[in-house]
Amino acid sequence: MLAEVLTQLALVISILVPMSVIVFIGRERLARTRSEWRSRLRTAGPVIAVLIGVLLVNRVARQTAPELSRQIGFRLSGAFYELEGEFILIFQSIQTPETTAYFSTIYVYGYTFLLIFPVIAYFTLSDTRIFRRLLTAYTLNYAIGLVLYILVVAYGPRNLMPGELMERMLYNTNPQYQYLTSEVNTNTNVFPSLHTSLSATVATFAWKTRSEFPKWFPIAVVLAASVAISTMYLGIHWALDVVAGTMLAAACVSLSDRLVGRWSVAELSAQFADRLPWPQNQD
Amino acid sequence: MNWDPTSPDTGVSRRSFLAAGAAGATLATSGCVDSVQNVVGKTVNGQLSLSITTLPADADRQGIQIARQLEANLQQVGIDVSIDMRSPSELLKAVLIEHDFDLYVGHHPAGYDPDFLYEMLHSSFATEAGWQNPFGFTNMVFDTLLEDQRRVDGAQRKRLVQSVLTALAKSKPFEPICRPDEYRVASTDRFDGWGEAALTTRHGYLEPEPADGVNELLALKTDSRPTSNLNPLSATMRERETIIQLLFDSLVTVHEGEGQPWLAEDITWTALEPADGEQGPTLTATVSLREGCLFHADERLAGDDEQLADEDRRLTAEDVAFTYRFLKDTSLGRAPTPSPAPRYQSHVSAVDRVTVDSEYELTFSMNASRPVAKRALTVPILPKQFWRGLVDRRAADGEFTAPQGRWIAATGDHVPPIGSGPYQFESRIEEDQLVLTRFDDHFTLRDDVDLPSPPVDELRFDIDPSSASAVRRIADGNADVTASMLDAYTLDGIPDSSDVEQLHRPSRTFYHLGFNVRNAPFSNTHFRRAVAQLIPKQTIVDDVFYGYATPTATPVTDEWAPERLTWDGEDPVTPFLGSNGELNVAAAKAAFETAGFRYDDNGRLLGGY
Repeated sequence: MLAEVLTQLALVISILVPMSVIVFIGRERLARTRSEWRSRLRTAGPVIAVLIGVLLVNRVARQTAPELSRQIGFRLSGAFYELEGEFILIFQSIQTPETTAYFSTIYVYGYTFLLIFPVIAYFTLSDTRIFRRLLTAYTLNYAIGLVLYILVVAYGPRNLMPGELMERMLYNTNPQYQYLTSEVNTNTNVFPSLHTSLSATVATFAWKTRSEFPKWFPIAVVLAASVAISTMYLGIHWALDVVAGTMLAAACVSLSDRLVGRWSVAELSAQFADRLPWPQNQD
Repeated sequence: MNWDPTSPDTGVSRRSFLAAGAAGATLATSGCVDSVQNVVGKTVNGQLSLSITTLPADADRQGIQIARQLEANLQQVGIDVSIDMRSPSELLKAVLIEHDFDLYVGHHPAGYDPDFLYEMLHSSFATEAGWQNPFGFTNMVFDTLLEDQRRVDGAQRKRLVQSVLTALAKSKPFEPICRPDEYRVASTDRFDGWGEAALTTRHGYLEPEPADGVNELLALKTDSRPTSNLNPLSATMRERETIIQLLFDSLVTVHEGEGQPWLAEDITWTALEPADGEQGPTLTATVSLREGCLFHADERLAGDDEQLADEDRRLTAEDVAFTYRFLKDTSLGRAPTPSPAPRYQSHVSAVDRVTVDSEYELTFSMNASRPVAKRALTVPILPKQFWRGLVDRRAADGEFTAPQGRWIAATGDHVPPIGSGPYQFESRIEEDQLVLTRFDDHFTLRDDVDLPSPPVDELRFDIDPSSASAVRRIADGNADVTASMLDAYTLDGIPDSSDVEQLHRPSRTFYHLGFNVRNAPFSNTHFRRAVAQLIPKQTIVDDVFYGYATPTATPVTDEWAPERLTWDGEDPVTPFLGSNGELNVAAAKAAFETAGFRYDDNGRLLGGY
């Protein structure tokens, strides 16, 4: 079943991405990328390596951290419920089979696409800074998100209000998606909403690059907003998770500005060499 | 709201009732009080504040909805309520081991014989950790009734059980809500005969007949705990013990609500006339074991030469006698205080003495009638060599304590488990999968034994994320059967196909609201009764279970319940204060006031009473 869902996801993405490349990027940039990709990869190499490292840690930790989380984490589902009550049931007013289908699609496919496309788009820019900033922001989202997941043990609204959310819960309408989500996450990891924070991160970068990708900006904003709403509509996240996700996105985007370009690998190795107690290259 | 605690059936005096109450108060404030975190409290303005512990919807779709219905009604009568969701093992740990809860909504596995109530309610278990008396309830009337019902048989017993149920419905250490219908689905492609035995017993996995060439049975579970723990003593890692029954044998097996010989080849019952009145054993069971049975091959059973031989694996009367001794005290007398297993206490408490007569013969002296005595013989038989070794190693350094339900014998994962059952452990992937294989030396595979034997080489349990996805997987022909009971919301959506068989069994299990009667205000019977009247059982059955449940005032099936406790459209003792699920707030508040509680000017129920 998991394989089935993954194949479907891969198929959808493999259709959407090339289409978007043609629509949003343009031939000229692609041509230049073909000649410059090596040097761009070299510049961005360390950032890519860190992201992959964090993703690997995440992959392992999402399975092992729940135990640690149970021991040291704060149990906050009750508190979230106390604070915001049945706020997310507000979406009951727009509930139709069509909106449910829309938000389910957005939650699974829209989100995946939203994360993948800008990586490709920004790689086609000659200046790799924005590309490196995007990857850095992704890395920060995952890293900070993981720490918060360990510290906060909370179940999402779907676990508390299954009756009210019955008709639109993702796993009722499409139980197969639960194979995918239970593979990547456990049900007590809801604070913050990483769906929201990563989507908001992408949308913020889309705004920063609106002169380079004018057509992408509105699409990214609509998709990101839809993802954030879908997490509440489908009962997966509390509104507080979404607010926290938005704040996390803001923090990650601004941190990425401070961090990227701060150290170059060459400088770092030089600094490291200076600190060594024995003389180096004395000529 | 007053009720006369003196039951005409037993003639226990008011004085002994008061004495039991005093004993209860002492119990509640002694011993384990340090470990009990008092969660109930008052808010700054003096309002009573409490929390309802229950499972998240992923683990139990119905329990959380009952909890929230109750939450809404408690709030309407002016009580500050919070909901505390915990995973299945954490819920059981909080309720059974740590007694750290106010109210909880749970799903009790019950039992095929009402003697499970002895374990749930007897005062002698009030300070113990485990499935025995998690409420901390103490009442001498109950104790007498619970003891008496297990010593007699037939109509006499039924009357006494009815008295227990009547007293229970009045004093409510817990409030039964409903008995859910138990549905499963199976694919008929590869196996036949799913309906032969309940999938809650070992027989359910032994009776189905595979089609030619089929050598694996794939069952779907929604509860992943068996992939991380197979310790038969664990209180928190399972409610029902179906998988334990496959891995371990017991002297008697339960099939269709009847105990029948299993590892015991023959049982001879002899009734005794107790010398004077009530004390002393009333029945002996002389058990002949099946000869030549072996435990599963495991290096940990090897003798002093550290080479595992068949001799080391033999299951004899010594192992059986050891099992009963061990369940009574898992420290085997080596710890300063005994440490009874957090399970099976109604079973072992029915046994006074076990005597080994020869290698394959032993005699049980029971203080119970035959049905209860038979149930006592259904515990899993453990290998003495392994478990005694565990205690020896722990006790070796001198400083040995065995806190009940919390020391390694009860909390260890016991993977791989060492049993003698028809299936043996092969492998597991935590949270994902448990694979068992046929135990070729099992006695059911002998030619001269007429009992169901393991039908396939491999029995695999896959963990599926939800009832809905499990049903779909069966319908798609990608698995054979759902091992877990299906959530009610999926039942109307079961595809009507000739390949999918619905397996329906009337349920003995029950949803209930449990009170921690150690703490005020739950120690107050009148408060508990007022809370029980806030539960719209019929509406819960209609809305939460879609009609696939039976509302109930008793925790046992109707065959045991007295006429006056049967459901007749509303609860016969504490009817819901309202209609069509809507609470009559004024009436409900009046009930709390009659119970001696006071409200402030803002309609908040005050915590000081």
